[in-house]
Amino acid sequence: MAQVGATCLLYLCAAMTFSGTAGAADEPKPTPENTISIKLAEPVPSQKFEPAPKFWITDVTDRSGNAQPMLVLKERGGVFLDKQPTAILKEALEESLKAANLLATNKDSADMTVRLYLFHFGLAQGSGLDFFSKVEFSAMVKNPKTGESQEVKASGTSIARGAIRKKNIQKNVEENLQEALKDSTRNFLRGAQLKEAVNTLWKGSAAPAGNNK
Amino acid sequence: MRKWMVVLVVALALLAASAQAKDETPKFKTVEARHFQSSEGVELSPAFGDYFYAELRNELSKAKMATEVIGEGEAVEDADAAKSAVITGTITEYKKGSVVKSALIGFGAGMRSLKMDADLVRRSDKQNLCVIHVHVKVQPRWDEKVMAKFAAKQMVNEMKKALKEGKSS
Repeated sequence: MAQVGATCLLYLCAAMTFSGTAGAADEPKPTPENTISIKLAEPVPSQKFEPAPKFWITDVTDRSGNAQPMLVLKERGGVFLDKQPTAILKEALEESLKAANLLATNKDSADMTVRLYLFHFGLAQGSGLDFFSKVEFSAMVKNPKTGESQEVKASGTSIARGAIRKKNIQKNVEENLQEALKDSTRNFLRGAQLKEAVNTLWKGSAAPAGNNK
Repeated sequence: MRKWMVVLVVALALLAASAQAKDETPKFKTVEARHFQSSEGVELSPAFGDYFYAELRNELSKAKMATEVIGEGEAVEDADAAKSAVITGTITEYKKGSVVKSALIGFGAGMRSLKMDADLVRRSDKQNLCVIHVHVKVQPRWDEKVMAKFAAKQMVNEMKKALKEGKSS
């Protein structure tokens, strides 16, 4: 009886070991071949502000709850990002703000500070026939002088054709994510919510200057 | 003689194609698609709304309805407001369908169905340009996102047709 029990235990251990190694073999690893670089092809034009404040992005926090934020696609050997999504988003926004002359040189000289919370960056569940990318984040726009802040939400989506060949999958995913990033950046910089936030918070700081006259 | 007939048919086809292409000049400067609201009792996943929104924007771009298809909540220059439109809508009914009914009865029984109403409104004066009703039926085994794809395509086609006819139902 004890021998049967021991044999069963041995089989169980062997099964667990082999299933573990099989799982590890399925897990894709980042290599230069399956790594993509996501960045804006050109800065996104921002809306015009009167007067124009200078923004500074203080921090980007990942709130996606994704254990592997750099893994975009697990199937077919995986597709990885070369940078953390938070870094990609920050770079895209800074680049666009700089092009519109809305980026401060440092935190102290900024009229508005922006703290970003990233909720989604990457592929989302689509129809199965295509790739559906989504970039979703929220920004806490704050006037450091008054301490007042307002939340601005932004999201960007993109749908690209599906592919069968691995090379095409990677290419389509890259283009799709770039488009979603561009869309979300535009949604933030040209959004009515940002305009409202700047009008509300910027008036607050302009008021004391008016009183001094 | 037959050769000339072929040449004539090809020429006519090309003329028709070019006329159609000329028709496809954007009607609006910007079009903003918004997330559709769901009526009470409509049990669709939250992901459906996002996917349909993305698909609708995709179809609007493909159909060249506007020079620019903007995202939800984006500001538009005052000068462009009169030539801009906003699409709002409601998902009025969703039936999950039945695989058993579809397999046993067939002839459209047990199909997954979705009904939507959409309004195309001019941004400047909020004038209603057209009202669209869409009813999509797909196989009950198919994913709901496939239904979103069909619904978006049908909606944009109906919208184009309504604008062409210049009717406001």
